[in-house]
Amino acid sequence: MRNWFRGSIMVTALAAATVGAVISVAVTGTAGQAQGQDQAPRPAQTPDGQPNFNGVWQANNEAHWDLEAHEALPGMVMQQGVYDYEFAKVPAAPVLALGAAAGVPGSLGVVQGDGRIPYTPDALRLKQENAEHWIDRDPELKCYLPGIPRAMYMPYPFQIVQGTDKIHMTFGFSNAARVIHLNDVTGPPDYTYMGHSVGRWEGDTLVVDVNNFNGKTWLDRAGNFHSAAAQVTERFSPMSPDAIWYEVTITDPETSTRPWTIGMPLYRRLDPNATVLDYPCIEFAEEFMYGHVRREQLVRRWEGETMIVEITRKVPPGDSFHEWYRR
Amino acid sequence: MRRRLLESFGVATAIATVMVLLQLTTVPVKGQAPGATPWGHPNLEGIWLDVYATPFERAAQFGDRELATAEERAARNAARMVNPGRNERGDIGRRDVAGAYNAVYTSAKPAGPRTSLVVDPTNGRIPALTPEAQRKVEAQREWRLTLLRNTETCRSAERGCAGGEYGPPAPERFDVTPFYNTGRMNRHDGPEDQSLGDRCMSGRTPDLNGFRRIVQGEDSIALGYDTGQGQGYQRVVHLSGNHPPSQIRLRHGDSRGRWEGETLVIETTNFSPKFPFRESGENRRLVERYTRVDEDTLTYEVTIEDSTVWTAPWTVRQELKRQSDTQNRIYYEPRCNEGNYGLPALLIGRRVDEQVFKDGTGPDPFSLDTATCVGGLQE
Repeated sequence: MRNWFRGSIMVTALAAATVGAVISVAVTGTAGQAQGQDQAPRPAQTPDGQPNFNGVWQANNEAHWDLEAHEALPGMVMQQGVYDYEFAKVPAAPVLALGAAAGVPGSLGVVQGDGRIPYTPDALRLKQENAEHWIDRDPELKCYLPGIPRAMYMPYPFQIVQGTDKIHMTFGFSNAARVIHLNDVTGPPDYTYMGHSVGRWEGDTLVVDVNNFNGKTWLDRAGNFHSAAAQVTERFSPMSPDAIWYEVTITDPETSTRPWTIGMPLYRRLDPNATVLDYPCIEFAEEFMYGHVRREQLVRRWEGETMIVEITRKVPPGDSFHEWYRR
Repeated sequence: MRRRLLESFGVATAIATVMVLLQLTTVPVKGQAPGATPWGHPNLEGIWLDVYATPFERAAQFGDRELATAEERAARNAARMVNPGRNERGDIGRRDVAGAYNAVYTSAKPAGPRTSLVVDPTNGRIPALTPEAQRKVEAQREWRLTLLRNTETCRSAERGCAGGEYGPPAPERFDVTPFYNTGRMNRHDGPEDQSLGDRCMSGRTPDLNGFRRIVQGEDSIALGYDTGQGQGYQRVVHLSGNHPPSQIRLRHGDSRGRWEGETLVIETTNFSPKFPFRESGENRRLVERYTRVDEDTLTYEVTIEDSTVWTAPWTVRQELKRQSDTQNRIYYEPRCNEGNYGLPALLIGRRVDEQVFKDGTGPDPFSLDTATCVGGLQE
């Protein structure tokens, strides 16, 4: 890793020195070659002079859990444990069998300023309710289209294809997509999950205005949300050929007292042969959504649409804690 | 040591690349020939559609003739006017959804110049199935007929029961389906008994029906399909890299493309067995060719190979017409899943039928045909 870093710095420095004032620089691709990968050099700019966003990208943070600053939690779903304290909750049945893999990592948050979303009092109440009923309400669990900006920082890669007057993004999550129109087109005839995106270049920054939302999408797994009236403005600014500073301002008088902004880097996936593999979750969510109307139910007990999950974690012979420990 | 060598190789490459770029990079001219992208590839961008209705396979009477005469096209158009296969629920006095399945969802394209979409083999017909594939098709058909046995459809020997017979409910009717089901059947135990369409997963590759939006990058090309009722999907064609290892199986396969002159050639493998195209599952391999022949026309050819299913590869050809980008009449937000009240309603309806039968106040659900009324057994 350190070698790679030094290598790329050397390459960058030398190349920059060689090129001087010339605009068209090819740096990252050659850093890839320095790792012995069979990759063609990737120019930092497209031939028409824009930053080259072509490729596979992914956020690498905890924003998909909660945009706001939060500490680590012991479970995605929690219940009161031995103590009454709010901070002493323990994992609850839906995730209990997963042990330490079912927690939520902490984060400094991505909301700029004081780190909090400036909700109106009503919206804040709704957000708190959303959080309490996460597994019942979050559209992600039903494999619904994630919306913008949520799709941009889910824990799945996405592909950017940069055309001449369109920029197309294909998301690993449920094969969702968006098209950013750089030219003038008629908007959709109906409100949408993914919004209608119209973009323009301001210098090296791609600025995208998104609207036409249906108000059914969330912003993260913590129940943060916006209304159908939200005006979302995204700014994609190259930090390097392999990182984009992604900033989103949400102006939504129905839910917040002032416009607010999140910011985070998006990283280019430099893996050899980086390819977005679909996460085809419509099928994955069928049991969750329709299990209660099967003839012979797979989950032991449903009460109406409420799934009662009992956890049985069998320990195979030889794998009991003390046996495993002594091995 | 090896790493250091590679690093210096990287430096050399960087310098060389910059030199080459300096020589090769030309300043793109706005409004240059619509035939090329600023990076010199033939330009395929836009929204494209096969604007004609064309029989998939060629009727035997046309032999090897690819194109229809004006009279033959007129006759086909006339036949379409009476809308064969229309949904008759409204006409026979049952409650209908205001003719929706006749007038709204079922678009009526005019008859096209071709006698069939299949152009190779030269008789315009899909090659014979292999004996193994025939056995699988037959097993599926038998299973579906078995579940229909006690219905009015079989009692009155309607088309939906062709090849089957009327009789008491089959003893096997509660068994696990003896194959991985993707079609409609006369049983609704759970989602697995429904068609992929009912489950919002009917979009499959290749798609020959819907709108296609092509967005073209220098190293990859996005194909957005607007097809079915909100069952569209996206593909990304990579102009570099390799197919993933064979244990990776994808709904739309893995697509790698290259330019052969003016033609984009796409090879797609790594398909999943869960999303078959006709009889072909994980063993299919597609070779697709897109060529821009004029401002408004893109020819599309797909050769489909699966030696476990067909005795020879076969090819479909379409002439796609450019649609107005400004009007933007393509739906790239396939939200079937978000509004899928149909699937739970089908399952709930069957649970109600079962309860009513158990209570002795209704017929055996297996005597009701809930499979062939709209699109037939296989959709």
